[in-house]
Amino acid sequence: MKGIRGISQLSKRLFAAQAAHKRQFHAAARKGQSLVQPLAGLKLSPGVAHSYQDVHVSRLPSGLVIASLENYSPASKIGVFVKAGCRYETPDNQGVTHLLRLASSLTTKGASAFKICRGIEAVGGSLSVTSTRENMMYTVDCLRDDIDTVMEFLINVTTAPEFRPWEVSDLTPRVKLDKAQAAQSSQIAVVEGVHEAAYKNALCNSLYCPDHMVGNIQSEHLHQFVQNNFTSARMALVGLGVDHTVLKQVGEQFLNIRSGAGTTGAKAQYRGGEIRIPSTSSLVHSAVVSQSAAASTGEALAFSVLQHLLGAGPRVKRGSCVSSKLVQGVAKATAEPFDVSAFNSSYSDSGLFGVYTISQAAAAGDVIKAALAQVKAVADGGVTAADLTQAKTQLKSHYLMSLETSEGLLEAIGSQALAEGSFLSNDEISKNIDNVSLTDVANAAKKFVSGKKTMASTGNLVKTPFVDEI
Amino acid sequence: MTPILITHNPLRSLSVINMASRAPVATGRLLLGFRKWYYNLCGFNKLGLMRDDTLYEDQDVKEALRRLPEHAYNDRMFRIKRALDLSMKQQILPKDQWTKYDEDVQYLTPYLDEVVRERKEREEWMKK
Repeated sequence: MKGIRGISQLSKRLFAAQAAHKRQFHAAARKGQSLVQPLAGLKLSPGVAHSYQDVHVSRLPSGLVIASLENYSPASKIGVFVKAGCRYETPDNQGVTHLLRLASSLTTKGASAFKICRGIEAVGGSLSVTSTRENMMYTVDCLRDDIDTVMEFLINVTTAPEFRPWEVSDLTPRVKLDKAQAAQSSQIAVVEGVHEAAYKNALCNSLYCPDHMVGNIQSEHLHQFVQNNFTSARMALVGLGVDHTVLKQVGEQFLNIRSGAGTTGAKAQYRGGEIRIPSTSSLVHSAVVSQSAAASTGEALAFSVLQHLLGAGPRVKRGSCVSSKLVQGVAKATAEPFDVSAFNSSYSDSGLFGVYTISQAAAAGDVIKAALAQVKAVADGGVTAADLTQAKTQLKSHYLMSLETSEGLLEAIGSQALAEGSFLSNDEISKNIDNVSLTDVANAAKKFVSGKKTMASTGNLVKTPFVDEI
Repeated sequence: MTPILITHNPLRSLSVINMASRAPVATGRLLLGFRKWYYNLCGFNKLGLMRDDTLYEDQDVKEALRRLPEHAYNDRMFRIKRALDLSMKQQILPKDQWTKYDEDVQYLTPYLDEVVRERKEREEWMKK
């Protein structure tokens, strides 16, 4: 880790100005001077004015993408993004990404499990792993001064895991716990179910280890999956509050482990189908979707606008979402409590769009049909220009607000850098959203209405219609 | 009494535990001779045990045993049970079934070293 040692001095230099203030502060405290007043005799150094910096993205010859944003924050956040989500699992190693998610703190070639855990705790940092159907994300948070320490652990975890057999088998109770927690949530059941029913391969894989693989994923499965998927060409190193050249140096030195593209994942094949998960809950959660468009296409943007046009959840906390078209339509069909919103998720080669409803068991059929009728009304052209403008504004603000948190920003930069090798500025995104026309949205709605439907429902399913009845 | 027929081939464990292969030790022939003499003097080989079977089971050894691959663990249990049986009957194995010095595999030592290293690391950290 010689390179990283050198880097640490760079990051400390930015704090040189603050350090000078600190000395003044101590001097004042000694003299008994009040600290609520500006210190007498303190000459504020003009310092280096922090200039606004853009997101820098560069691609190394190995294919590794480096993206960073220097925001001069005292806390840094660094992530390694890998195209190794559960869609790359095969029938032999299903659930391996779930294990991988839990295996982040196991012994690596460079640091033991104990050292990773205590080392990160000691500097007040945190290491977390999240995974989507597309990507795995290893993220560390730390104070700027500790970048070199936590970066060492991050590199070790992503490039040199050992997956000792006894440590891997110790993870089985945690897999069971994760699954038990997920089973508590009807939303997770419906969203996992809808993917399982909608696709023949790739995207049908669950984020959670399937029952028959619990305890059957061995250290060799993990090694093989990492070997096949964690290649430089499928990785992105993303940093917030870190200098681009520093990050680039780290990427060149330490993340050049495996060249090549690794194994190629299968293209997702949509099939359409139905899954019904009965439970004792008195509510019915149900999603009716059909295939939409792959992310990064103009069509996907039209689906996002359509989602906000139909209603993507309350804008006012515990509000009634009266402006949502779906809610307006369903309110006429039932007097009982319900919730309805548009469901939209897009992946690199496919996407799902539809409506998600929560209703009383007896009213399930009416609610689902009323919600679908609203989408049909949009497809038939029942949208005014004012509705469209409002939906676009909502989409823009939703996107921009999601970039306000460091987690959201890091994820947005990382997944875009990984998918396209670039990061679209906010202006460009806004412009693209503005370019969506009424016909685009109507076409998107038509695609949903005419497309082959997939349905997933859970709860008391006595009165819930089957997919061929809607 | 006829000696108990036991079909256990120590070579089998030799072939499967390749990671525990002995590091070459730079010793003279005299020292090697002494080691062999001492090994036979200890006597556990006459019960069909290996050196690593005789370690006192403290916390470190227990943890190392947990990490053993299943077949190595089963072989160990077989040897220990056989030895208990023999010891109860006040017998020793026929001479051709004694563990030979060259066939004694330190199957547990690499795991034990690792456990001790981890414990040392923890203790080192606590001292700080």
